[in-house]
Amino acid sequence: MDVFLQVLANGVMLGGLFAIVSVGLTLIFGIVKVVNFAHGEFLMVGMYLTYLAVTGLGLHPFAAVILVVPVLFLMGALTQRLLIQPLLAAGDHHIQIFATVGLSTALINLALLVFGADIANTPSSGLRQPVEIGPVRVLLGQVVILGAAIVLVAGLQLFLARTRTGRAIRAVAQNRAAAELMGIDVDRIYALTFGIGAACVGVAAVLIAPLYPTSPNSGTYFVLIAFVVVVLGGLGSIRGAFAGAILIGLIDSVTGFYVGADMREVAVFGVFLAILILRPSGLFGRQLRLSHVSP
Amino acid sequence: MRVLARTLAAALALGAAAVHAPARAADVTFGALFPFSGQLALLGEESARGVEIAVDEVNAAGGVQGRKVVLARGDAVDNNQAIGEARRLISLEKVVAVFGSYSSARSIAASQVAELSGIPYFELGAVAEEVTGRGLQYLYRTNPTAEDMAKLAVEMIVNKVAAGLGKKPEDLKIGIIYEDSSYGTSVANFQKKFAAGAKLNVVTAQGYPASTVDMSSLVLDLKRRGIDVLLQTSYQNDSVLFLQQANEAGFKPGAIIGGGGGYSMQPTADAVGHKVIEGVLDTDFTQYLVNTKYTPGIESFVAAYQKKYGGLPRSGHSLNNYVGAKLILQAIDKAKGFEPDTIIKAVKGIDVADGVTAVGYGFKFGKNNQNERAAMMGMQWQNGKLVTVYPDSAAVAPMEMRK
Repeated sequence: MDVFLQVLANGVMLGGLFAIVSVGLTLIFGIVKVVNFAHGEFLMVGMYLTYLAVTGLGLHPFAAVILVVPVLFLMGALTQRLLIQPLLAAGDHHIQIFATVGLSTALINLALLVFGADIANTPSSGLRQPVEIGPVRVLLGQVVILGAAIVLVAGLQLFLARTRTGRAIRAVAQNRAAAELMGIDVDRIYALTFGIGAACVGVAAVLIAPLYPTSPNSGTYFVLIAFVVVVLGGLGSIRGAFAGAILIGLIDSVTGFYVGADMREVAVFGVFLAILILRPSGLFGRQLRLSHVSP
Repeated sequence: MRVLARTLAAALALGAAAVHAPARAADVTFGALFPFSGQLALLGEESARGVEIAVDEVNAAGGVQGRKVVLARGDAVDNNQAIGEARRLISLEKVVAVFGSYSSARSIAASQVAELSGIPYFELGAVAEEVTGRGLQYLYRTNPTAEDMAKLAVEMIVNKVAAGLGKKPEDLKIGIIYEDSSYGTSVANFQKKFAAGAKLNVVTAQGYPASTVDMSSLVLDLKRRGIDVLLQTSYQNDSVLFLQQANEAGFKPGAIIGGGGGYSMQPTADAVGHKVIEGVLDTDFTQYLVNTKYTPGIESFVAAYQKKYGGLPRSGHSLNNYVGAKLILQAIDKAKGFEPDTIIKAVKGIDVADGVTAVGYGFKFGKNNQNERAAMMGMQWQNGKLVTVYPDSAAVAPMEMRK
């Protein structure tokens, strides 16, 4: 029984990790309607910035938030303004996808150039300390990630539901043309949303860097599952992404222990396909909304 | 349209002529085909440095057949580019032979191009079995392979580890885990084969994707099974992850034997922590903390490396490539001419015993043009350093086991 609880705990912790990486992606996906293939590389850049802040400036990893989050926000907003915006006029979403794939490759190779292919270790600063909760044992850093994911999801929900800017963002997502007619500066909202999405992954980077070694490919390790989570939760549904992440984490952990490590991905993607067949719009996604199709 | 095509063709021809500045008549060009950019750049570059030092030394001693050796670099960043660069080296740079390639996949792709052109291809560092054994006439490999890595791990268990743990080899519970690309899978399959041959009890063998971010369920499973000796074949990311999560979950088998990749690199030990990695064993190419009586010339190689690149070698790849390239160049030096068949004939005559070169293992090409004397060595992390502990002739420290 204790082992089963430990397996579940590992699954929830892994789910928290997937959740915090996915939040920003689902926001950008849902509002700007851009599949950001460079999302993992934003994470990687954030992890390197954390590494530099901790080893260079001697900050605690968490204190690096004040540096990493604004930089990532700026990076996201600029990506939207300089790369995606000009392509929106092209009217073909595929071109934006190619652009983000290109950005991803460019960032990986830039990191290779600057940092080399070797791993960079952010000091764990006590976050690898085990915490005993009843019969289970997890790392302090994992608990912090799960907590931060919950706060981030709740915070974004409140922001989107209650604030004026949040309502403007939702309006743009629902009908871009109508929002524009109501006097909303759509371009500004897009840049803002992309920035917030990137800032979210900045938060993830700060929390992940002390637990995982950073390398130019770090982003690719996390991001495939992040895409699964986003689709599973329902495109653009932040709550859905969170639920999807925890579900995927649990499936991964339970299969890994009871079936075998080589079957984990089979199980994860099997469930993913099954849910998509039964609920094409994802766990929390609404049915296809034609209002999304901008003229 | 036709005008455009003609202009393009003319421009291309001009460009090609400009790039292909003819080497001086006294020079002879060899290709160095490695991944110099992209994900494999670190160890690709490290491998090429070994070849460069070999060329420097050969040139300092009068070159090959009195001609100065020039290296033409080709960047094998992926399999397609490996093919393209092999074509460029052969048709534009007019190389007489190609050295490569660190990555097995790049080697397999590029060597086919060389074979079709009838240009010798010398593999100095790729470990996959499939590199040789495809019936290629012009492909020769100097370095030990995935099979050698597995053979050595099983040998170490039978000859040393079991006694160190105070058990008979057949009483040990062996666990095998591996990253599930062709590299890990092929090493693991050989480990199973040799373990069965030695009547070892392999309790479980599990693959996982190298890009995994969590191995806690696998660790729990190994702990539950009471594994005594764990074999892992992995890259760096998953080596670090496994060692950390095993430590945190309190999984402490009698011995962990890693296979190359991440296990041999200092940053891995620094990431995991020297206390955690203490006592972990590793099977890989010859490394630097080794009995120099068995590896004569290793010190002067390290000195030459430091002088040229301003730092210590980052892995054993440079050393293995250095010795392989130098032996081949020296063999060609004794021949007359650079015709492919002349080169092959010269290389086939290489016959070097164990304990004579800086890598320790000997050289003689056997079945499938594979160096049948190539062997790996066993290392152990002791006090934050990777010291050679197996075989005895190469060891600088005794293997230490926690009981």
